[in-house]
Amino acid sequence: MKPPKFEYHAPRTVDEALALLGRYGGDAKVLAGGQSLMPLLNFRLARPAALVDLNRIPSLAFIEESGGRVRLGAMTRQRTIEFSPVVAQRLPLLKEATRWVGHLPIRTRGTIGGSIAHADPSAEYPAVLTALEGEVVARGAKGERVIKAADLFQTYLTTTLTPDEILTEVRLPAMAAGAGYALEEFSRRHGDFAIIGIAAVVVRDGQRCKTARLATAGAGPVPVRLRAAEEILERDGLGEAAIEAAARKATELVDPDSDIHASADYRRHLTGVLTKRALVRAIGVARG
Amino acid sequence: MTDPRSVGPAALPRLVGARVARREDPRFLTGQGSYVDDHRPARLLYAAFLRSPQAHARIVAIDASAALALPGVTAVLTGEEIARASKPVRAASKTPAVKVTSFPPLALGKVRHVGEAVAMIAAENRYVAEDAVERIVVEYEPLPLITDMERALEAASPLVHEEAGTNLLVAREFARGDVDAALASAAVVVRERFRFHRHTAICMENRGCLAEYATGSGTLTLRSSAQCPGIVRDVLTDLLDMPEHQIRVIAEDVGGGFGAKASLYPEEIATCVMARRLGRPVKWIGDRREDLLATTHAWDEIIDAELGLDRDGAIVGLRAQVTADIGAYSIYPWTAAIEPVQTISFLPGPYRVPTYRGRTRGVATCKTPLGPYRGVGRPPAVFVIEGLMDRAARRLGLDPTEIRLRNFIRDEDFPYKSPSGIVWDRASFTASLLRAREAMDYDAVRAEQARARAAGRWLGIGVASYVELTGIGSAIPVAPGVPIATGTEAATIRVDPAGKVTAVFGVASHGQGLETTLAQIVADEVGVPIEDVRVLHGDTALSPYGTGTYASRSLVLAGGAAIMAGRAVREKMLTIAGHLLEADPADLVPAAGRLAVRGMPDRSVTVREIARAAYTGVKQLPKGLEPGLEATRFYDPYYGTASNATHLAVVEVDRATCHVSVLRYLVVEDCGRMVNPLIVDGQVHGGVAQGLGAALLEEIVYDEHGQLLSGTLMDYVVPSACEVPWMEVHHLETPSPVTLGGFRGMGEGGTIGAPAAIANAVADALAPLGVEVAELPVTPERIFRLVSRGP
Ligand SMILES: Cc1cc2nc3c(=O)[nH]c(=O)nc-3n(C[C@H](O)[C@H](O)[C@H](O)COP(=O)(O)OP(=O)(O)OC[C@H]3O[C@@H](n4cnc5c(N)ncnc54)[C@H](O)[C@@H]3O)c2cc1C
Repeated sequence: MKPPKFEYHAPRTVDEALALLGRYGGDAKVLAGGQSLMPLLNFRLARPAALVDLNRIPSLAFIEESGGRVRLGAMTRQRTIEFSPVVAQRLPLLKEATRWVGHLPIRTRGTIGGSIAHADPSAEYPAVLTALEGEVVARGAKGERVIKAADLFQTYLTTTLTPDEILTEVRLPAMAAGAGYALEEFSRRHGDFAIIGIAAVVVRDGQRCKTARLATAGAGPVPVRLRAAEEILERDGLGEAAIEAAARKATELVDPDSDIHASADYRRHLTGVLTKRALVRAIGVARG
Repeated sequence: MTDPRSVGPAALPRLVGARVARREDPRFLTGQGSYVDDHRPARLLYAAFLRSPQAHARIVAIDASAALALPGVTAVLTGEEIARASKPVRAASKTPAVKVTSFPPLALGKVRHVGEAVAMIAAENRYVAEDAVERIVVEYEPLPLITDMERALEAASPLVHEEAGTNLLVAREFARGDVDAALASAAVVVRERFRFHRHTAICMENRGCLAEYATGSGTLTLRSSAQCPGIVRDVLTDLLDMPEHQIRVIAEDVGGGFGAKASLYPEEIATCVMARRLGRPVKWIGDRREDLLATTHAWDEIIDAELGLDRDGAIVGLRAQVTADIGAYSIYPWTAAIEPVQTISFLPGPYRVPTYRGRTRGVATCKTPLGPYRGVGRPPAVFVIEGLMDRAARRLGLDPTEIRLRNFIRDEDFPYKSPSGIVWDRASFTASLLRAREAMDYDAVRAEQARARAAGRWLGIGVASYVELTGIGSAIPVAPGVPIATGTEAATIRVDPAGKVTAVFGVASHGQGLETTLAQIVADEVGVPIEDVRVLHGDTALSPYGTGTYASRSLVLAGGAAIMAGRAVREKMLTIAGHLLEADPADLVPAAGRLAVRGMPDRSVTVREIARAAYTGVKQLPKGLEPGLEATRFYDPYYGTASNATHLAVVEVDRATCHVSVLRYLVVEDCGRMVNPLIVDGQVHGGVAQGLGAALLEEIVYDEHGQLLSGTLMDYVVPSACEVPWMEVHHLETPSPVTLGGFRGMGEGGTIGAPAAIANAVADALAPLGVEVAELPVTPERIFRLVSRGP
């Protein structure tokens, strides 16, 4: 479990990094926290000619709030997010999700950009990005573009980012004041990737539901936005029957795979269970 | 054999029984341990192995030219080449129950499991070595697969070992009385097909070894992350055709073994052969992928069992058949029989079983070899017998503790010979169960369960009582028919001229805290403070003859030898002191670090003065007394001694997610006289954690092509600190009547009781649904299927 030979670069700016990526014509990989990339290298599943290390580019690590949204630099560590007052106030769902990402040492290195670019279907951040209808900023040789969550994730470990692009920023709309939220997850062990995870946001108006947002982790090759389940709540309100119906609907909306930890049937079952739990908890903390 | 009754009390009985903090810990906790990988001799080469991607295939050709051409690569070794330098390993057995087959150090002719070592590279670093491994081209011709143990027994099945003529490598039967008649007339018969899946140890330190061959002196030194340096040294002598005194095997600090490092491994042989061939040190450090592929696996058994009872719940007979998937090779020295034969031997448990027939079969398949793992055979055996006891209790409407109390071997039955021939010296089955009930406030917990059930919650209480054989002496081999001496251990105790004590043992400590417990015994016996005792172990060049640490033997065997050697040294100290003080040795009394004449505390000599006299003051010694102050003694406990415990688990199964939470875990164990309760607690904690892994989480999974699906620690799920519950550990101390010191072994117990206790608790939680737990680990997925399917 030693990586094959690669060249290593540690640029100081995004422009330098982009130039390096261009030089290798798609045969270089960006190194962020290394928590997913290093195992891939050690297993020799990834064999890039070069690594372009982003850890020495200070401009990529920041959390800023303006105009009703929060911008997070791609190299912002998960541990920083966990303790950020801005995140706690404006994106409490992201804060809650961070608790579920691995263990402390992993979060200390792992980044939000790395987690999203890596696009593990069982990861929490892609589900949060999907639920909150966020977007990412990608920079490449041809300039900058903004990609919506719905257009980002293609399949397992695959996004619409091109090999010569760097994800520089994650943008999330600040959650409405009083919005209820929850991330419910089932994994075999504390700190493991989700067998199934459900991110939920509910904006309520008494027993009425102004908006509901539901997204999955672990229920297929990409995070799944459970729009038809959200609609049930937005139409029928936040009563028990609506929650039950939404949870039932959620199980119909996913098409999970089987692996040695959980069959597709069991994952579908969990999707319903956790959707219900997430909604009950989100509604419980929602104000308005 | 030494009669324990002939040995009086220790000189200064102060430390045995005390919670002495582990003396090895400061070294470990400050990163000053000395593991194989910490050693980097000059001119060192690093090894990597090419491992088979195929489960069963003929090796048509191996072309290593591209690998050898890579800069930094020194040499390659293949099966054919190594066959000229080492014999194949053949794990012999004296019993006809075991078919002896070959285990070549590198695959020869064909590969028999994914991960089998096919070729070895030595290079200037591990990176280059792995690059070179990728460049070796092997042409394989796939052979028909053998991955299902029951299908492997069909006449038409392809063979793993043609030389055996069958895949049935182990077949054995134990019987007592007419079990068929007993079951035919039993009031109640419960039966089940139990499945205990494949498991592996996961040591913190992966296996690894470093061989150095000194061309000048012709000596070979092997450092290995191994439990049994003595066994490895002895067998290398034979395989490599070298005299024993020219081979030294060192297992200094070892980061866990759990049985998985108790066997000889192909990499050890190959590393020695490579070092000898090149005249340069060669080191191999296995990585986690290799560890999962090529360190022995455990258990993997199907057990069909039936238990008959009379109307009062007394056992009338037990009939069982064990089928074990022993994988591709019979491992040295334990053979393929170790797991299946232990399982069937221990199946009757702590109960009076008047009639018994147990058959066992070990079947070769194209998987990683099966080997010993903490508990060997007993975790599955206890899962089965305790599962049957609970089924019987449910049928008879008895409480699970009550049915056990009605069937335990009673105090007046000892020594009790089990149906498989094991003799239980004395144990506290009834007392441990009663104590566990009391410590848990069992009736209150049952009442709480009734309330929880009424509220629709799935709460369950699981009981498991077991007995294990520990400290096994020469009467029976540790594994059936193995031709090595597992029944004795020795200690050398040397007092140096400064009065400090070095105690050397043939056992090896790899986490058990033996540097502490053995020092406690030595300090008490010689009569010195523990600070003056240094324990050395795990080095065949330093120690007297011994095999190593396995089978809960080291404290009993090495501790017994320490008592004997300590007494001999003590004896001589008294003689010298008496002479120096002009007093009768019988009138001398020990004080810390000195001996004084009774009633005259200022007429005394220090241990240092005695030691100095022993070495340098020939004139100060009594006439005719040989100088020096050291003794070597061998101890053989002959039969071995029982160790027992009762485990109680309270669990809740989440009705929606099927997740199991362990709410309470309680152990009442009896390992006889305790040397160090702190260490006993630690051994129980670690063992229960591993047993919990077996019950709920850990499973080695192969697909139908013999590919390992659980090949990383993301897929092979071991419990972390977050999954391990708080444990309440209580002790009973029933001194063994048959071992020196009254000690019993207890290194494995936690792992033996926990799978059954947790399985029974889950089954109890689900009992209202009419389903049973017959398969471990009982994962959320399995519970989901059980509860969706219903009874
Ligand atoms: C034991 C363990 C447990 C874990 N458990 C969880 C868990 O429960 N949930 C979870 O979500 N994650 C988990 N992780 C993964 C962890 O969260 C990683 O941090 C994350 O997946 C990747 O982030 P990283 O910064 O380490 O990226 P890296 O590993 O450095 O990179 C990952 C991939 O993304 C690419 N990449 C990284 N940054 C960028 C960028 N800015 N632009 C373009 N491409 C980029 C890299 O080239 C690489 O292909 C776990 C990891 C470990 C080791």
